Amino acid sequence: MKFAYYPGCVAKETGRELDMATRWVARALGIELVEFPKFACCGSGFVDEANEVLNVAINARNLAIAEAAGLDLLTICSTCQGMLTLAKLRMNDPVVRAKVDGALRPLGITYRGSSDVTHLLRVLVEKVGLPTIRARVKRPLTGMKVGAFYGCHLLRPADEMAWESPEEPHAFEDLLAVLGAEPVQYRGRVMCCGFPVQFVKPETAGRVAGQQILDAKQHGAHAMATPCPLCHISLDAYQGPAAKLVGQPLDMPIFHLPQVVALAFGATPEEIGLSRHLVPTAPALAKIVARP
Amino acid sequence: MVAGPISVPLEVYRYRPGVDRAPTYQRYTLDAAPHTPLLSLLLRIRAETDPTLSLRYSCRSSICGSCAMRINSRSRLACETPVGPEIERHGRIVVEPMASQPVVRDLVVDQSPFWQRYNAIEPHLKVDPRHPMPEGQPNPMTPAEVERFHDTPRCIACAACYSACPAVAADPAFPGPMALAKLYRFVVDPRDAAHQDRLVRIQTEGLWLCLRCHLCTEACPKNVRPSERIRDLKEMAIAAQGATEHGSRHAVGFKENLRTAGTLHESRLVRQTFGVAGMLGQLPQGLRIWRKKPEVLHRPKPIEGLEELEKIYDALDAQEKEGGR
Repeated sequence: MKFAYYPGCVAKETGRELDMATRWVARALGIELVEFPKFACCGSGFVDEANEVLNVAINARNLAIAEAAGLDLLTICSTCQGMLTLAKLRMNDPVVRAKVDGALRPLGITYRGSSDVTHLLRVLVEKVGLPTIRARVKRPLTGMKVGAFYGCHLLRPADEMAWESPEEPHAFEDLLAVLGAEPVQYRGRVMCCGFPVQFVKPETAGRVAGQQILDAKQHGAHAMATPCPLCHISLDAYQGPAAKLVGQPLDMPIFHLPQVVALAFGATPEEIGLSRHLVPTAPALAKIVARP
Repeated sequence: MVAGPISVPLEVYRYRPGVDRAPTYQRYTLDAAPHTPLLSLLLRIRAETDPTLSLRYSCRSSICGSCAMRINSRSRLACETPVGPEIERHGRIVVEPMASQPVVRDLVVDQSPFWQRYNAIEPHLKVDPRHPMPEGQPNPMTPAEVERFHDTPRCIACAACYSACPAVAADPAFPGPMALAKLYRFVVDPRDAAHQDRLVRIQTEGLWLCLRCHLCTEACPKNVRPSERIRDLKEMAIAAQGATEHGSRHAVGFKENLRTAGTLHESRLVRQTFGVAGMLGQLPQGLRIWRKKPEVLHRPKPIEGLEELEKIYDALDAQEKEGGR
C-alpha cells in the first residue's frame, strides 16, 4: 500500500509526535508514505473564510501534485481531510473550476480530480482492515477506557464528506476495540473541540473544549484519542485554561489516533513522542492491564 | 409492504420548574410501525395515558417548525423523525427539550433567548427610504439574484440549529446559525439598502464566533446550510471592511502567512491576530506549550515551489480585479 503522505503543517511542527506515530504505524503495517516537499498547507479552514476560491486553488495544486505521481493522498488531520475533500467538490462547480484552472494553467499544473483523499483512520479500518490490525496487536490496551473524538471535518457536512453517519460514527470505536481498549460512548465525541475560535476568543474555545472533555470524563474515559491535531491542540495544549473555564479539574490524557495504534503494536512512549503532550499520558497507560 | 409494529421504549424529559426538584425521565413503551413519526407517539401518550405531557406542535408536516426537540441528543423535528431507525440505532428514544433555552415545562422551552439574539442583528429587509418599493406593484428579482439566496428563504425558524450549536451554548455573544443565515439572505438581497452597514456591524456582533463545526447544517430540516452561509458572510465582511477583528485578522493573517512560506508559521500568526500587546495574554499558556513543543517558536522551512503559490495568489487577485471592473 502506497500513498502520497500529506502530514499537514501541525504534524511537521508542534504536533511532531503525530508524524512520529504515523510513520511508526506505517512501517509496522508496510504502508509506504511518499513525501512531497511541494505540498502546501490546506488553509485549515481559515483561508477558506478569507477567500474560498484561493483555498480551492491551493488545494487543487496539492491534489495535482499527488495526481502527477499517480498516488492517492493520505491525511492525518480531520481538517486537512475536510479541506482537500471540499476542494475536490468545489472543483466540480464550473465557475470555480474556470477561475482555478486559469490560475494553475500558466504554471503547467493540471488538476484532474483523479486522486482520492483518505484519512488514516479510514485507511486503517477499511483498507488495512481490522483483522490485519488485530493480528499485529502485541500489547492490547485492555483496561484503558478511551473516548474517541472525531473532529468535525472528518464527518461534516455529511453529504460532502460522504463517510460515516455524522451522529453515529463507529470506525474509531471499532478500531479501539480491536486494539483491546474499551471505547466510551458519549455525545461529545462528534462535537466541536473549539479550536477555530482559539485565536478569536480563547474563553469561548476553552468552554467548548472543556465541555467535551468533561463529557468523556463523566462517561468513564481514562483518555481521549483524536484523528485531528487541531483537536489535539485544543484538548491537550489548551486543557489547562479549559479546566479553569469549566470550573473543575480535567486531567484527561489526549492521544493522537496513530499513537494508540502504535502503543498496542508495542511502540515505546519515546518512539511516539508521548513526553511532548502537556497533559501526562502515564495515568491512562497505567490502566492497561498487563497480560498474565 | 407495510412493516409490522415494533416496541418503542421512550424516555421523556419531564420537568415543571418551580414545582419539581429536578427533571426526571419518564418511561413509556408503545407499539408502533417503524415509520411512525415520534410526534404521533408523543400525542398518543398525551391522548391515551398522560394528558399533562407538555409539548409544542402544530402542522405535523415539517412546515411550522414547532416540534423541534432533542431526540437521542440530536436537535430535530419530532414530526419528521420516524421511530424505527432510532430504535435500530439506540434501542430506545430519549426525548428532551431543545438546548440553550430555559424549560417552561417538559418539552416546551422559552424561545426568548433565541429571538433576542436573532433580533439583535436585525435580519429583516431594510429599504432605502429615498427609493421606496413601488406601492402596490411587484418588485421583481432576476433568477440570478434569487439564486444568490441559496436555500436561506426555506428556513422555518424551528431553532434546531440554535439548539445544536456549541457556540450558542458557550457564548451569549454569538447570534446563532439561523440569525446569521438570515442576515446573509438580506446582505445579498438586491432590495436591501443596508448591505455595507450589516457587513461592518456583524464583524463585532459575533460573526467570528462561529466554530464552522457544521452541526447546524446537519440539524437543519430544510437544508439551509447555515455554516456555509456564515462562511460566505465572513469573506464578504473582509472584502467590505478588511480584517478588523481577531477572527478576520486570523483568517487574513493565515492567508498571508501561507503565501510567504506555504506552511504555517504559528508564532507569527498569533502576533498577526492579537498584535504584540495582545500576545501578552497568550504568554503564560504559550510558555507552557513551548516547554513541551519548542517548535512553536520555530520559523518553518518554506515549501518547495513556493513561487507557484505566489503566482496562484497573484493570478486570482488579477482575476478578481478584472471581474470587478
